[in-house]
Amino acid sequence: MKPAIEHIENEIDRVLSREDDIFPSSGFAASVMEAVRRESTAPPPIPFPWKRAWPIILLASLALALGIVGTIVAAVELSRPPATSLTSLPSITTLIPAGAPNSTWVWTALSLVAAFISVKLSMRLAGGGT
Amino acid sequence: MSASDDQADVEKVLSGDLSAFEGIIERWQKPLVNLAYRFCHDRGRAEEMAQEAFLRAYRGLPQWRKEAMFSTWLFALATNLYRSELRRIPERTVPLDEVPEPVDFRATDGGLEDRDRDEAVRRAVLALPAKYREALTLFYFHEMDVPAAASSLGLPEGTVKARLFRGRELLRGKLPQRLAVPRLKEA
Repeated sequence: MKPAIEHIENEIDRVLSREDDIFPSSGFAASVMEAVRRESTAPPPIPFPWKRAWPIILLASLALALGIVGTIVAAVELSRPPATSLTSLPSITTLIPAGAPNSTWVWTALSLVAAFISVKLSMRLAGGGT
Repeated sequence: MSASDDQADVEKVLSGDLSAFEGIIERWQKPLVNLAYRFCHDRGRAEEMAQEAFLRAYRGLPQWRKEAMFSTWLFALATNLYRSELRRIPERTVPLDEVPEPVDFRATDGGLEDRDRDEAVRRAVLALPAKYREALTLFYFHEMDVPAAASSLGLPEGTVKARLFRGRELLRGKLPQRLAVPRLKEA
C-alpha cells in the first residue's frame, strides 16, 4: 500500500474509531419501561377473520373468473371475421348453453342472488345478522 | 455485561416477570442509543429509535433462539430498525461531490487541524451511499470487528468486507488532498 493511501486509511480509522459516546438521558430507561408496560397491558391485536372472509373471497374469485372467461369469449368472438354485422356483438350470454331459459331472466336471477348473498354476508360480518 | 444475565432476564420476562426487562434496558440502553446516534446524529431521534428497538425486542423475545448471543440478536434487530427508519425519514446528507473543503484547513505546520480532519472525514462518511455508510458505521461501532458488523447487518462477511473496501475507496477519493499531509506529531 502506498504511504499516502496508508496514511489516509489510518486517518479514517482513527477518526471513525473514536466517535464520542453519548449517554442516554436520565429518564430514558423509565420511559422505555413505561412503553413496555403499556405494550404488555394492551389487548392483543384482533386476528383477521379468515373464517368469515373465505366465502367472500371465494365469491369474488368466482365473479372475477366469470368476468375473465366472458372477456376472453367476447375477444375470441370479435377476432373472428364478421359474419353479419357489428350490431351482432357477442355477449356474456353466449356462455349460457343453448336451450337454457331466456338469458334476461337468468341474469336477473343471478344478480338478485348475488345481491342477496352480499347483503346477508355484510349483515353477518357486521354482527347484526341472525 | 454478561450473557447469562441476559438469558436469566429474558426467561423471567417470558415467564411473566415484566420488571426483569429493566435489567435488559439498563445493560443495553447505552449501546443501543449510541448505535442509533451513529446512524442519525440526532440525540432526540436516537433515543426515540432506541426506545422502539427495545419495544420490538420485548415483542420479539419469544423468537430469540438461544444459539445466538442475546447481544447479537438485539443489535441485528436494532440495526434493521434503524436502517428502515433512516430510509423512511433520511438524515440530511450532502452528496459526496458537494462536501465542501474546510475554509481554514491548513494549520501552521501545513497540515490539517485535528478538528478539521475529523469533521472532513465524518462529513464524507455521511455523504456515502447508504450501504457503504452502514457497513462503515457498524464496523467501527463494533470496534472493527467484521463478523460482528456482518451479524448486525444480517449480511455475509464477504459482502460487508466488499462494502467496507468500496466505502473506504470512495472516502479516499474524496479525502486525499485533505489528509495526505501528516499531522504535526507524526511529522
